[in-house]
Amino acid sequence: MSHEEAYSELAAIALGAASTEVSAAVREHAAACPECGPELVAMEEAVAQLGQLVPSAVVNRGRAAGIRSRLVMRARGERETRSSAAPRARPDLARGVASLTGLGHKLTPESQRAVEAEIRKVAPQEKRRTFVSGPVLLALAASIAFVVVAVQLGRVMAERDALRAEVASGADTANAPGTTGGRRAENEALVAAMASPDVKIVPLASGNATRMGRMFWNPSSNDWTFVVYTMPPPKPGMTYQIWLVTDSTKISAGTFNPDQRGHAFMQAKYALDRDALKAVAVTEEPAGGMPAPTGPIVISGSATP
Amino acid sequence: MNPSEQELPYTRDIRSNAEDVALIRRMCDADETALGALYDRWMRSLHSLVVHLLKDPDEAEDVVEETFWQAWRKASSYEPSRGAVSTWLLTIGRRRALDRLRAKARRREDSLTREGWVLAEMPSNAPDPLQTTEGAERRRHVLAALRELPEEQREVLELGYFKGLTQPEIAEATGQPLGTVKTRMRLAMQKLREPLSMYRESAP
Repeated sequence: MSHEEAYSELAAIALGAASTEVSAAVREHAAACPECGPELVAMEEAVAQLGQLVPSAVVNRGRAAGIRSRLVMRARGERETRSSAAPRARPDLARGVASLTGLGHKLTPESQRAVEAEIRKVAPQEKRRTFVSGPVLLALAASIAFVVVAVQLGRVMAERDALRAEVASGADTANAPGTTGGRRAENEALVAAMASPDVKIVPLASGNATRMGRMFWNPSSNDWTFVVYTMPPPKPGMTYQIWLVTDSTKISAGTFNPDQRGHAFMQAKYALDRDALKAVAVTEEPAGGMPAPTGPIVISGSATP
Repeated sequence: MNPSEQELPYTRDIRSNAEDVALIRRMCDADETALGALYDRWMRSLHSLVVHLLKDPDEAEDVVEETFWQAWRKASSYEPSRGAVSTWLLTIGRRRALDRLRAKARRREDSLTREGWVLAEMPSNAPDPLQTTEGAERRRHVLAALRELPEEQREVLELGYFKGLTQPEIAEATGQPLGTVKTRMRLAMQKLREPLSMYRESAP
């Protein structure tokens, strides 16, 4: 495309009134043209101002919040997918439970396995909605905490020294991410999200008994905590995608890839009517996720009695 | 008002491009909370624009979600030297809306008038309650700049921007040759640029 041809089309490009083919050719030219490039930017800025004249549309509060939640969850899932090979940046279930012990956030593989064994014992795979009572959760927490204490006791002194060093360095003056205070706040928030009296637990299972997980949902705060373990890696080019199933739709709750141990953990906020959730399912989808489920269900659970 | 349609705490006031650029940078670092913050800042403007084009709230919500997702995926491609974040975001959203509109070959049913719907529906003394004083002032200024254009130039601009018509469609709607439409559109844009250049955001 010649310079003259491209220049004559700039207004149409800025307005979106040109064909896709013409637009691509003009933009390619403009990217390298010292006259057309700035001219196109200036026109697009002017066009953007025309948006000021569009009347404000009524926004449905709940649906707008839902879009926001889905976006953030998808983004978080993608981030975790990208960094799945890297050390975990977020607390996992065991770390959250470990905060009950006051021993900090680091667990040995032995304590990790012990914690997960406890979870398996107290969370059978029956497909029913479970309303968790405070005493039950306290018992669970105490049981897990006991295991952690038993395994971790020998690490107390080292943890204390490390904490002192961190405090002395001034790195823990705020609950910033990455600091001990920040990690502790994260862990406390995690436990709170899973241990509130209002939390519903949706057990997730599959034909393969080793694949299992839980969705913890607090309808009062709209906090969702998804935990899954012993999941095989998805096929190349694929990812796992979580779906919140209602009577009318299947809502994407983000994508994830399990870590090397087959574990994954996600947290999000999403507003959903208290009785709307019928099931939670995980399917295998093309990388990046799909707007609606297309692949096979690899793990699922009913949220209704 | 239906409780589900209560107004969100989003406004259409003037926001700092520097803050938007900072959010984009955080998005490049895979900080999903920045995506949420960007959504809070621009959802209403984008939603209003897309609803206006598509006349379908459900479809508009899809486009809004797609747009912010594309912003997340393509955050690293944003270049401050090529315009404000808001321009980038609204351009993505508008293109997506136009793609849908054209894929369905939909046409607005309301009749086209020589007066133009913008001037008919948007009198300068009708401030948007969701805008701050500064935002309302900008809106009046944009409307005044549009009014300054010759009628035939304003018409092609309105048909292109507010109704999403392509140049051949504008030629058909106005009964003018395609070359004439292109010329009018270019002249209109060149004239509109100058009075609105004061709102161009400079990169921090």
